[in-house]
Amino acid sequence: MRHRSWVSVLAVLVAATACSSGEATQNGKTELTIATFNEFGYEDLLKEYEAAHPDVKLTQRKTGQGAPHHQNLFTKLGAGSGLADIEAVEEGYLSQVMDKASQFNDLKEIGPNVDNRWLKWKTDAATTKDGKLIGYGTDIGPLAMCYRKDLFEKAGLPSDPEAVKSLFATWDSYFAAGDQFIAKSGGVAWFDSASQVFNAMHNQHELGYFDKSDKLVVESNPAIKADWTAVTNAVAKGQSAKLVAWSNEWNSGFKAGAFATKTCPSWMLGVIEAQAGPENKGKWAVTEAFPNGGGNWGGSYLTVPKQGKNAKKAAELAAWLTAPEQQIKAFKAKGTFPSQVQALKDSALLEQTNAYFGDIKAGALFAAQAQKVAQAQYKGPKDGQIQENVFSPALQSVEQGKSADEGWKTAVAEAQKVAK
Amino acid sequence: MKRPSFVVYGVLAAFVLGSAFPFYWSYLVASRDNSVLTGDFTLIPGGNFFANAARVFDTIPFWKALGNSFIVSGTVTLSVVLLSALAGFAFAKLRFRGRGVLFLFVVATLAVPTQLGIIPLYMAMAEFGWAGELEAVIVPNLVTAFGVFWMRQYLVDAVPDELVEAARMDGCSLWRVFWHVALPAARPAAAMLGVFTFMQSWNDFLWPLVVLNADNPTLQVALEKLQSGYYVDYSLVLAGTTLATVPVLVVFLVLGRQIVAGVMQGAVKG
Amino acid sequence: MTAVLTRSDRERVVQTRSRPPRHRLSAVDAKVSPYLFVAPFFVLFGAVGLFPLLYTAYVSLFDWELGADETPFVGLDNYRELFGDGQFWNALFNTFSIFLLSSVPQVITAVVLAALLAANLRGRTAWRMGVLLPYVASLVALTIIFGNLFGPQFGLVNSVLTTVGIPPVDWQANTFGSHVAIASMVNWRWTGYNALIVLAAMLAIPREVHEAAVVDGAGPLRRFFSITLPMLKPTLIFVIVTSTIGGLQIFTEPKLYDPSAGSGGGAEHQYQTVVLYLYQSAFQQLNLGYAAAIAWLLFLVVIAVAGLNFWLTRRAVR
Repeated sequence: MRHRSWVSVLAVLVAATACSSGEATQNGKTELTIATFNEFGYEDLLKEYEAAHPDVKLTQRKTGQGAPHHQNLFTKLGAGSGLADIEAVEEGYLSQVMDKASQFNDLKEIGPNVDNRWLKWKTDAATTKDGKLIGYGTDIGPLAMCYRKDLFEKAGLPSDPEAVKSLFATWDSYFAAGDQFIAKSGGVAWFDSASQVFNAMHNQHELGYFDKSDKLVVESNPAIKADWTAVTNAVAKGQSAKLVAWSNEWNSGFKAGAFATKTCPSWMLGVIEAQAGPENKGKWAVTEAFPNGGGNWGGSYLTVPKQGKNAKKAAELAAWLTAPEQQIKAFKAKGTFPSQVQALKDSALLEQTNAYFGDIKAGALFAAQAQKVAQAQYKGPKDGQIQENVFSPALQSVEQGKSADEGWKTAVAEAQKVAK
Repeated sequence: MKRPSFVVYGVLAAFVLGSAFPFYWSYLVASRDNSVLTGDFTLIPGGNFFANAARVFDTIPFWKALGNSFIVSGTVTLSVVLLSALAGFAFAKLRFRGRGVLFLFVVATLAVPTQLGIIPLYMAMAEFGWAGELEAVIVPNLVTAFGVFWMRQYLVDAVPDELVEAARMDGCSLWRVFWHVALPAARPAAAMLGVFTFMQSWNDFLWPLVVLNADNPTLQVALEKLQSGYYVDYSLVLAGTTLATVPVLVVFLVLGRQIVAGVMQGAVKG
Repeated sequence: MTAVLTRSDRERVVQTRSRPPRHRLSAVDAKVSPYLFVAPFFVLFGAVGLFPLLYTAYVSLFDWELGADETPFVGLDNYRELFGDGQFWNALFNTFSIFLLSSVPQVITAVVLAALLAANLRGRTAWRMGVLLPYVASLVALTIIFGNLFGPQFGLVNSVLTTVGIPPVDWQANTFGSHVAIASMVNWRWTGYNALIVLAAMLAIPREVHEAAVVDGAGPLRRFFSITLPMLKPTLIFVIVTSTIGGLQIFTEPKLYDPSAGSGGGAEHQYQTVVLYLYQSAFQQLNLGYAAAIAWLLFLVVIAVAGLNFWLTRRAVR
């Protein structure tokens, strides 16, 4: 009997604490939280929404970098509580989130009708095999090619944005131009880092590391080995500057002019401008071409985890935030490139120019590139990790002197370990 | 005792210069822009510091975060030092049943990596209703096994057994023996433990990030927001860390005399 | 350290000893107080520390993926897998290597530094505070600085090496090079702190011992090696014991050293430590069960090593 009374006391205590914390309403207002990272450009939009919906109170939880934001997300997913009503998810982490789709609301079920709002590949990537929509698209990072005009000229390559398009027609022509370039560049490399090229190539295929039954196909998918061979060959010839993306060294590489081309999502223009600095103004250019068509790197989704108590209202807010009109405002505020079909036709986007890149109409250029993306590659449950933690390091090890064969064997073994 | 030669001063000066350099260097980058880091190496500060500092104040709730950090680190440090000294004294000088086993337990918990704990700890804090509150950062850190271990090791030698015996014969309560004998004797170790604990708590990032809300952050959590954007603006980040280091430096300079004196005082055997 | 007791204190203690022993209260005090003194630690630990510990142990028996619908019980499979996991043993090797590279030079430098600080310096306190400075530096700033120093292509260290005619080192790709770089980060932060601990012990050596040696004609070096060093032994071993426990759990520095900001510890895990591997398993691969097994295996290793050190300490003190 004593034992039971203890249990009941505990239960009361737990219930009391749970009550004091879990309430999401205050003075009859519904409180909604939205967790984002980096800059989504939502600050003014949230105020606007509050003004239009007096019964809703919004709080934004901002994290600076993507990594801690997603770690936070997965921690609270594991703990079973604490997630915001709306959680932003970056494309690189999407495969892990899709793998846990049961923890998130099907937005088709609880949200308003927003069919055909986004580019098809953007929506497809966030749709499960059984047709559930896990996230509303926010922004994207359509890929184009950035290159150093002055270095191209020095090496005897064409440098005009129209003329270079033929160099960037296919990956074969890209690597062939690289050979031509390094023959005369005097030590300057063709691209920054092997994994930056490999990932772009890889994501153009319809199937990647997994087949649609989620079986790992690293060894049996010939496209992967072909890409690997092409990139490691280029490395062996000296085309890579061997700089780890986002490292201090990589930053310095922009300024030092250590490489001549860069796979360039829309948001990369700002990175190049900041790292290369004013003294290199006019040297960098961007062209409306990307080898083998189009590609995408980056961009996010808004998800509504099942932990939240106000899923319907959260979905309503998320749908509003990702509507074309709002996304254009976010674009104006922070430059997040829209994924919505209507927004891609907006004049504010199409007229946008970039002074650092010779006043080019960057908005229109990347909007055109976005249309060239053929499809969303099917992503298996551990896809993001295999890209980030297996293939990128393996390519880096080849750049550091390991043989391409050895590197491939390691990559296959590690991929199998991760996928298990 | 005769004064040491200039060689000693020279070596020490080199060491202190090396110690101080990162502080100067942080200010240097904060007073210029990113280019210092990407090739244009220089040692002369520029004129951007106040502009960068102003951007820090615009971007994050600096003062609130600073206040929170002082509350958290101050409380944690005080508690760790006091409770560790108390438990350390008991383990070092008092005889009681189960002492060996209990102490072994303390030492064993030291060896547990804490990184995994954040998931269950979050579950516990959510259960207590502390998610988002400063309690969630303070309470789990009020005691540390390291502190108890540290104080115990020190007090074993620092307080002679006869002294405790004598005080007890005298009818002194053990609490008074602790307060008037052990605690003063523990000052040097307490000072080192205090510095250690304060900085540990001050630099803690992962747990506060997970458990605190954006509107009520500690300094490290707030500073992380300076790294948003597609590239990191190091002049802004380092302006933030410089501003955040200044208060610690001030405390350190003001209390440093005491800290160093504390370390040394007990050391002079009478 | 008896210094805090003035002579009059001691006299009082001696005097009071002759008083008649007091009532039962003191007996109760002697019995109960020790438990009350250690209670705060155990109560607080029980409230917030124990649950995570037990939870981790429990989770290690499952194939527990963060946020997954099903977490099947697998018994000791995670541990079995771990024993055959080359990455784990590699991480253990790295951990010991970085630990040795950081603790050995650090203790030696700390002793030398302490010896210098023990001299009759002008502005003593200022010097002593100066060496403690690195400890209050911000980790973010340090990451950026050390990243800049040890950059393989544009780093300052390599430019200096090249200037003096030594071939540059790839501080990322080279296993030993990366360990040296990480250890130098650790050393920079902790040497001053340890120097002060050693200094305190050094100053505790009675002056008469030194003076007697001086009379016997021993030079300063001789005195250092035959008097100071032996008397520092207990302190040194204690510093080593505590730094073993911390050193084997090294995480922050290797994590910050990775330019890709991941947890792989280099392209081929050249500098992935055990806790970094644990972190990667838990928060990148979301494999909580496996990470928990790593945590417990590391726990056993640390206990074994620290136990050995503890035993050494006790032998040395006696």
